Amino acid sequence: MSTAAMSLRKNQNIVKNKIKFQTGPVSASLMLIGLVILLGLMYLNQVTKTQTFNYKISNLEHKQGELQTTKDNLSIDAARLQSIAEAKKAAQTAQLSAVKTVSYATPR
Amino acid sequence: MPDSETLEPTPTKRIFYLTILMGIFGFIMFGKLVFVQVFQNKLYLEKANAQQSRKFDIPARRGQIYVNDGNGAVYPIALNQQLFLLAADPKFIKDPSDTVNKLSRYLSNEETVDLQTKLSNKENRYLVIKKSLSSSDAIEIKNLKLPGIILNSQDGRNYPEGELFAHITGYVNQDGAGQYGIEQFLNPSLSGKGGVSRAITDSLGVPITSNENTIITPENGSDFVLTIDRNIQQMAATAIETAVKSNQADSGSIIVMDPKTGAIRAMVNYPSYDPNNYQAVTAADYFKFINSNITNQFEPGSGFKVITMAAGLDTGKVKPDTKYEDTGEAKIDDRVVNNANDKKYGISTMTDVIQKSLNTGVVFVLKQLGTDPDKITSKGKEVFFEYIKKFGFGERTGVELAGEAKGFIKKPDGYNVDYANMSFGQGISVTNLQLANSVSAIANGGTLYKPYIVDKETKASGEIILSKPTVIRNDVMSRQSAAELAEMMKQVVQHGSGWPARTTGYSIAGKTGTAQVPKPDGTGYEESKNIGSFVGFAPVEDPRFVILVRVNYPRVDGFAEKTTVPAFAEVARQLFMYYQIAPSGN
Repeated sequence: MSTAAMSLRKNQNIVKNKIKFQTGPVSASLMLIGLVILLGLMYLNQVTKTQTFNYKISNLEHKQGELQTTKDNLSIDAARLQSIAEAKKAAQTAQLSAVKTVSYATPR
Repeated sequence: MPDSETLEPTPTKRIFYLTILMGIFGFIMFGKLVFVQVFQNKLYLEKANAQQSRKFDIPARRGQIYVNDGNGAVYPIALNQQLFLLAADPKFIKDPSDTVNKLSRYLSNEETVDLQTKLSNKENRYLVIKKSLSSSDAIEIKNLKLPGIILNSQDGRNYPEGELFAHITGYVNQDGAGQYGIEQFLNPSLSGKGGVSRAITDSLGVPITSNENTIITPENGSDFVLTIDRNIQQMAATAIETAVKSNQADSGSIIVMDPKTGAIRAMVNYPSYDPNNYQAVTAADYFKFINSNITNQFEPGSGFKVITMAAGLDTGKVKPDTKYEDTGEAKIDDRVVNNANDKKYGISTMTDVIQKSLNTGVVFVLKQLGTDPDKITSKGKEVFFEYIKKFGFGERTGVELAGEAKGFIKKPDGYNVDYANMSFGQGISVTNLQLANSVSAIANGGTLYKPYIVDKETKASGEIILSKPTVIRNDVMSRQSAAELAEMMKQVVQHGSGWPARTTGYSIAGKTGTAQVPKPDGTGYEESKNIGSFVGFAPVEDPRFVILVRVNYPRVDGFAEKTTVPAFAEVARQLFMYYQIAPSGN
């Protein structure tokens, strides 16, 4: 041991106080209640979040259904407007006539 | 002291008895628990689930049907549509008269009959007013806020072309099941598989989030694209309507096929019905639902002579220039068969037989098929029967349409006269599709294809299944004899009963048939009824299409050349332009 270290040891007058945390039945119960409340709040938070997302999903599904119905109706309207019956009407309105003769170009 | 010891049990004994008692009680309890939880587990689980959860059906989306539009695009002929059922609970209707007035613009005249009386009957708690209400009408009715009026949504079907494709599509009934046509035949593939959701519910039956909730997602139905070309379908529909009306006939049908693949390009019947409003068809008109092209069998008459001639040519028993003497009649055992017009043509070739449609000529061919050329023999009948089967008669073609008949062919162990009759198309029954398909085999040089109407299936998963032509047999007849027969059929159009189909620059082959109609009691044929048919193909040198036209019970004088050939000519001439087939100068 060095001289410096020896002198330091001799001058040691530091007092160490040990603090003891002691838990009695009341504090244990309070901690338990606190923990239960905390967990309960966390659970409620999660459940609320899930329900909110569920509501959003349900809303989106409803919207999807409505859009599908609109798409179906538009498809039907489009098909009806392109139907042969409609084409005939348009041809009559435009006074179109059927092709009578066709000339074919023959390659040489 | 010993006395008192024997009278009163010691505490140890009491505890012992109590333990025994408790043990027995505990054992009973344990036994009951085991019984309930193990042996009755399923029962109580079901009871609990029934109280705490609900099952929700998730319907699959029905597949849609498309046809080709001729330019590579497709066009829908059966689409999904959300419809509504309009009903009422009369108990809650305050003013029936006002309700009827407000609803009347959405109802037909029949639907409003007695409606006010029915709505006034408060004991009736559910009254269906209208099925298949459109969504736009449903929204308007909802906005009227009429008390006691109920609107229930339901999946429906819309057919944008109305009557044009009715016999191909069929329709979907109120229960969501396909009826007739593709809708019935392909119902399992079109309807898909419904899904199920099982969810834990609250006390009001509203689903709540739970890990125990389960869902089986629905599998939507497949979409189908058909081989039908809607432009050709329209040509055929117009032609057959004109033919039926101009001949004052009961009904008529047309098939257009591709002889090189068996693909059906058009299939129409007149009269038709609107599948959007199939309920409007009355019981007397139920025949309109039937696709006559595949369901209504008929005696083909002279149109069948080409099959007899095919057998003669292919076996090498006759050639186009083989001669026989037509005396106007042919004797078969104790019976006599005459030509349809009772004329005699003297020395005639086989080409004359087809061109002039001589009954005696095809009986001659039938005789040549056997072991003795002067009479009909068992061998001859067997050979003829074999050719009839080769051409696909007497069996369903397997086309993807509901209600196909298979026809009727007499077996060769029958009477000779029956087979003589069969040689010119009497005493047998065939469908339009069988006849058109058999002529396709002649047109393409001897290959019998399976007729098909589904071109492509697109599954919900995105998987695409393309249909390919299916060869049933490629040895129906040799290419040489098919070409000879086609040339003979060409003469029918050039110089025979098919003359109205003659078209400058195009070679057309065909055969007319005017069939008698058997009486329902089987005692002969109807005097004033006939079925006219014409089946042909063009151009002969490179056939692009086969057309069959049939007109039932025309009320004008004349044979098939008058009743059916003009309709054939009309469709054929349009097809030459549509397919851009240049005239060959023949």
